[in-house]
Amino acid sequence: MSFAGLVLDGLLALSLPVLAWRALSARDLYRAVILFITFGVILALAWARLGAPDIALAEAAIGAGITGALLLNTVGGLSRKNDKDDERPDEPTDRVGRPWRTRLAVTVPVTILAGGLAWAVLSFPAPVVDMPSLVGEAVAEGEVSHPVTAVLLDYRSYDTFLEIGVLLLAALCVWSLGLSAVRSTAPEAVSGSPVLAGFVRLLAPAMVVSGVYLLWAGTSQPGGAFQAGAVLGALGVVMVLTGLLVPSLGRGGVVRAGLALGFAVFLLVGVVSMLATGGFLAYPEGFEYGLILAIEFFLTFSIALTLTALFTTVPPREKGGGA
Amino acid sequence: MASVFENTNWMLAPILVPLAAATVAFLLMGIRGEARRNAQNAVGLAAALGVALSALALWAMVSGGGPVRYELGGWEAPLGINLYADGLSVFMLITTAIVGGAGSVYALGYFSGREGEDARRREDLQDETGSFWPLWMFLWASMNGMFLAADAFNLYITLEILGLSAAALITLGGTRMAFSAGMRYLMVSLLGSLAYLLGVALLYGSFGALDLATLGEAASPIPPVWAALALISLGMALKTGLFPLHFWMPAAYTSAPSAASAILAGLVGKASFYLLLRVWFDVFGGSAPPEYAGQIPGVLGAVAIVWGAVMAMRQTRIKTLLAYSSVSQMGYLFLLFALVSGAAPERSFEAWGGGVYLVLAHACAKAAMFMAAGVVIYSVGHDEIPRLRGIFQKLPISVATFAVGGITMMGLPTSGGFTAKYLLFTASVGTGQWWYGLVVLAGSILAALYLLRFLNPALIQVPTAKVYRDAPQIMSGTAFVLAIFSVFLGLMSAPLFELLSVGAPFPSGTMGGS
Amino acid sequence: MYLLSGVAVFAVCAYALVVHAHLIRKVIAINMMGSGVFVLLTAIARRGDETDPVPHAMVLTGIVVAVSATAFALAVVRKLHEATGHAYLPEEGEDAPPDGGGG
Repeated sequence: MSFAGLVLDGLLALSLPVLAWRALSARDLYRAVILFITFGVILALAWARLGAPDIALAEAAIGAGITGALLLNTVGGLSRKNDKDDERPDEPTDRVGRPWRTRLAVTVPVTILAGGLAWAVLSFPAPVVDMPSLVGEAVAEGEVSHPVTAVLLDYRSYDTFLEIGVLLLAALCVWSLGLSAVRSTAPEAVSGSPVLAGFVRLLAPAMVVSGVYLLWAGTSQPGGAFQAGAVLGALGVVMVLTGLLVPSLGRGGVVRAGLALGFAVFLLVGVVSMLATGGFLAYPEGFEYGLILAIEFFLTFSIALTLTALFTTVPPREKGGGA
Repeated sequence: MASVFENTNWMLAPILVPLAAATVAFLLMGIRGEARRNAQNAVGLAAALGVALSALALWAMVSGGGPVRYELGGWEAPLGINLYADGLSVFMLITTAIVGGAGSVYALGYFSGREGEDARRREDLQDETGSFWPLWMFLWASMNGMFLAADAFNLYITLEILGLSAAALITLGGTRMAFSAGMRYLMVSLLGSLAYLLGVALLYGSFGALDLATLGEAASPIPPVWAALALISLGMALKTGLFPLHFWMPAAYTSAPSAASAILAGLVGKASFYLLLRVWFDVFGGSAPPEYAGQIPGVLGAVAIVWGAVMAMRQTRIKTLLAYSSVSQMGYLFLLFALVSGAAPERSFEAWGGGVYLVLAHACAKAAMFMAAGVVIYSVGHDEIPRLRGIFQKLPISVATFAVGGITMMGLPTSGGFTAKYLLFTASVGTGQWWYGLVVLAGSILAALYLLRFLNPALIQVPTAKVYRDAPQIMSGTAFVLAIFSVFLGLMSAPLFELLSVGAPFPSGTMGGS
Repeated sequence: MYLLSGVAVFAVCAYALVVHAHLIRKVIAINMMGSGVFVLLTAIARRGDETDPVPHAMVLTGIVVAVSATAFALAVVRKLHEATGHAYLPEEGEDAPPDGGGG
């Protein structure tokens, strides 16, 4: 590794905990969120340095982008309500009730924890299982050449299946709360602006194309359903912010179906495989590539829709009007 | 070959059936009113039936042929993910099938409520968003997924599903307390799973595998492994509510809708305990944790037994009393870690089996008691003990349910509680740690005291509470049947212990028909 | 080096999680703690000659799970705020039922 690379890595590795510290002790919440987003960006750089372009893509879109938007939205929503009181997001009461005694009491176990973990992490033995070769062998025989996609959609597809379930569940959980739409942090200026709306209309097709490309390329290069879904989800969020999409995203039944689609397709493919080859999610010979791509297609759609729905938090409107 | 495959595919059913039901129930959220309730009820019941049947099928399979392993996606571990069913897995599946089934039937009646007159402590009996069933199905799927999992990262995902759905079930309560209790639970849950994940990362860093069996064979006493053990134990202790990490429990169980409280208290805490058992013995067993490692949960468990019971005596709401009772009873479970450590190896199965059996016994009894509390709230509008004097005359079945459930808390024969506590007691004496035996006894006495706190005024005094409306019989009936069942668990223990011995971490040796 | 970085992030956030009272800070803390673990995993993936794709898959999955959990957590904070006007968890005593559970 070159010296410059070493220095860069060192800087990145150091700035992560420092940023975390700064973000969590920032005086007001807006600053905390901005620092959080910065953290996400630095993290994406770190992923790139660590040879993980898939994760870098996903982190940039989901971690920094969508989570950042969620946080800003929520913080904005809170401060809006607080306009009536004197409370503001940066109120000093944020740290009341945590006198220095408590802080000290917490610092001690945390330092022990950090020390123990550091020691543990520096004493890894040589691994017993050579996972990279196992994956390499399997990839060589298979039709999907990008290892990460192969792991996600083939060798460990069950985990990915459950993970889509988590996404669906999260939307369900959020809807179960029955929240009303949050005014975005800059409502009138943004949703009324024809320039911005026009810009987004121009941007949308480009983002869709990149999303599709990411999906398609994912079988042989970094990319895949999550990255594509994240990009399209980000598009969805932008469209909601500029008023091109209503917060409830459309008719109830349709939205729900869209959310459940990816999960349902995955489940269906799994069961069909079980009937065909006797193993859940054991793709029949020769169908691997097609099935994986098909699953990823529906996943991308559902992921994008779910991420947008998580942002708006409003349950879809039912037929025949209502609440 | 083909027919064997067909049989082992049953292993997927306890997971896939609730997941499919969850998806359907989710889609059904769009319909309104009666139609939605009926449709979701039907889906839920069908799922409950399916899970029960598949659990029984697995019982037969495992008892007959030993532990079963299934390769998902057709890939061999450690590259692929495996499912694994041994006696303990099937035991837990059956526990959730029984209590979950009862809970499902109870929920049929529970959400049929309309506006009551005493709105002060009225629970959300409407389920306006139609989310109960999808959430409950996801929860059930996650637990079954956990019991059958043989991969460390897979377990993480099931843990997350568990946490999210449980938290959402708490917030369904709709009150301020429900939101804050749900938030607190969510934070606790996420912290616990993150600790677990860090532990898994350490294990992967050490050995390069996620498969539990591979990890178990590879485990050795090195710093990362100790750190992983500590982290995972802390995480699971947090999620199971071991003293002093139980602080989230009372508010959470109290403010959730009673149908959910029954499931939370009966099952959710047990799932994370199962994970701890699985990891502690199957993975870390090979690395020979030091003797004293088991004493830490043991001592904390002992403290929990006493402290939980004392706090329960001071409560004025039934549900909070039951919550602290749960804190106390969960303490018993952790005693087993101290009792299986080496001193008398032939006692290990007794101790382990006793603790595990208590899982089933407590799940049934406590769920029944929470259901009974739900009936009281439905009928009277609140569950404040001082205002429920003489309620026995108005709601005899529910008070009887409470009393019968209490038999397990006290550990009286012939309940499952007796069997379990008796085993723990003899194990403690047998391994020379008789002080734990004392705590077991003390726990029973204290349990009697806090039970009387409610039962005494309820039974004896002149009724002062007014019943506003009658709860559907399906609610009180289910609760009562479940409670009665828990009393007979003591008599049914033989086949269940036989099941437990399949693939158990300790040889079952001479375990007479307790 | 990144290994230690991940650990450091985790520890920092753990501290903040307990010490800070405002719920949104807690949510951010949990999210970043997760990222710390992800950094650790990715660093592990880099140890040998070849990059190990399994931790990468784990982290990708983890990111999705994290955003799901964070989204729900934030929604609950909003709901709590709607109901109570602030975004803090009640301290132990306040959580007791109005008629005083502690005797």
